Amino acid sequence: MNSHKVISIRNLTPSTYVIRMEKKDFTFKTGQYITLGFSGSIDRREYSIYSAEQDDYLEVLIKEVEDGLLSKKLKKCKPGDVLDVDGAFGHFSLKEDEIKNKKFMFISTGTGISPIHSFIHTHPEMDYTLLHGIRHKNEAYESESYDPNRYILCTSGENTGDFNGRVTEYLLKNPVSPDTICYLCGNCHMIYEAYDILEKQGIKLGPIHTEVYF
Amino acid sequence: MKTIAFKTLGCRLNQYETDALASTFQNNDYKLVDFDTEADIYVINSCTVTHQSDHKSRHFISQANRRNKDSVLVVTGCMANNAKEELENRDEINYVLENDNKSALFSLVEAHFKGELKHPSQLDKDLFAYGATEKGFHTRSMIKIQDGCDNFCTFCIIPSVRGRAKSRSFEAILDNVRSVVDNGAKEVVITGVNIGRYEFEHYKFDDLIEAILNLDGDFRLRISSLEPDGFGDKFLGLLSHPKMTPHLHLCLQSGSDEVLLRMRRMYNIKTFKNTVEKVRTIRPDFNFTTDIIIGFPDESETAFTDSCDMIKDMEFGHVHAFKYSIRKGTRAERMENQVPEKVKTERSEVLRGIAEESKLKYRSQFIGQTQRVLVETINGNTAKGYGEHYIPVQFEAEDLKENTFYNVSIKAIVEEKDGLLLGELI
Repeated sequence: MNSHKVISIRNLTPSTYVIRMEKKDFTFKTGQYITLGFSGSIDRREYSIYSAEQDDYLEVLIKEVEDGLLSKKLKKCKPGDVLDVDGAFGHFSLKEDEIKNKKFMFISTGTGISPIHSFIHTHPEMDYTLLHGIRHKNEAYESESYDPNRYILCTSGENTGDFNGRVTEYLLKNPVSPDTICYLCGNCHMIYEAYDILEKQGIKLGPIHTEVYF
Repeated sequence: MKTIAFKTLGCRLNQYETDALASTFQNNDYKLVDFDTEADIYVINSCTVTHQSDHKSRHFISQANRRNKDSVLVVTGCMANNAKEELENRDEINYVLENDNKSALFSLVEAHFKGELKHPSQLDKDLFAYGATEKGFHTRSMIKIQDGCDNFCTFCIIPSVRGRAKSRSFEAILDNVRSVVDNGAKEVVITGVNIGRYEFEHYKFDDLIEAILNLDGDFRLRISSLEPDGFGDKFLGLLSHPKMTPHLHLCLQSGSDEVLLRMRRMYNIKTFKNTVEKVRTIRPDFNFTTDIIIGFPDESETAFTDSCDMIKDMEFGHVHAFKYSIRKGTRAERMENQVPEKVKTERSEVLRGIAEESKLKYRSQFIGQTQRVLVETINGNTAKGYGEHYIPVQFEAEDLKENTFYNVSIKAIVEEKDGLLLGELI
């Protein structure tokens, strides 16, 4: 476990924010997560890394949880505060030999876009389509940072996105070609349904990668 | 001569570590005695994977103290990591030894008797510095290849108590296997916390298994518990090797994809079934055993039925079923819809009945077949051991020897003795 100083807090919505910390000699594979907590405290939570492998800082995207123990406290962090970082953990990673020659479909809901943001910013040359499912358009976290031709915003609570409805409804109406490598990150329900849909569309079991958010 | 008694709870890795520690003490003039007798030193190698394991560990601590209040009582293992403060505050416990310096137990005890009181934090930390296991409690020789886990399944406390995944050096493992085989081991069991994730330099799990199988000697190889996500087709191909035993403990945990997602398992039911089917296409009598957690948060009646159906479909040779219990600090602790204890108990009874039927059905197919049994215990002319499929077999003969292979023709199954197979020496 290492101590990392907070550099800044970037509020994206009234309840969602990005904490930027110093990176020091921390290394990770894009898609992995860390556990984060205040220095010396036993309370820790897992967060996917939002920043790119090559960035000289470390970022995580956090949604404040009602009655949450840590997300409310972390939001009050100030530059210079010290956080303990452990990791990197997880196997939700891109395969080196696929990055340059495969077509990717990234499907995420809510803050599940975090590891996808890291994927895309680590490998901007990738051939990808990003599907982001949210309720309201203000939850399209930093959507301007993605190539608009590759980014599809699905809004289920209002008709303000590229598609009005859930990501699963989008997938049903817009089948994915079977040679696509799919990465799914978000809540269990979406992953469960999307997995089923993709499988029926001919995506083989192997190339579907999932990371569950709670 | 000082006497030492061990009590081991939980996984095969703990069993291996106890075997190695017990051998070190015996090689240094300590006498190994039964835990139920009075000893100078008691070592409890604890487990904390469920509430029940904690309860058992506490029970054995009290039991040891009652047997000999003046003994040196050491508690090690996963509970020592998870409940360190609680255990250190118990007067009857002399030392609480965390997993990462468990291998230094002998030097701790030696120092104690020389009057050099060492704090466990002063001991060497080495996850792989265990000696040979030849004087342990098992005929089979366990080989530790890795420790720790990075999977962070939402129900599991193990990454917090065993730490990050670490793999032992490739050459050290091969040397260890050569050494135990040279010393007469007939069955080598690969053990660790998450062995499928073995990775040392450019060697992966399947490379290691292939190298072990290609070593000389009359031994057979058993893989202990394996997660269904850490291996590929190369490993499945190695299951047909003549030295490989046709048995895998492949941890399923639930028969429901929804539950598996919430557990953060990295496979689904289809991939699990595909693995089993692939292996059984080549070897139809391959023994798959598994773990099932009953009553994970929000486990619906349908999800529970899915687990029961999987047991029937997969025809598991054995199911280790246990009720979910909250482990502090895990993600599942904070999940809603915890299943009431009463429901878990009811489901356990149902599932265990199905698992029992599955076991008997699976084992019955061996009647009329031959098993190569490694004899572990002999009582008069009665020998007991395990066949290559990891099924207990009993047979009668004269001049039997332990740690020896015998070809046995299976004649019957004893349902009331947990599916024990009875056979005749060929």
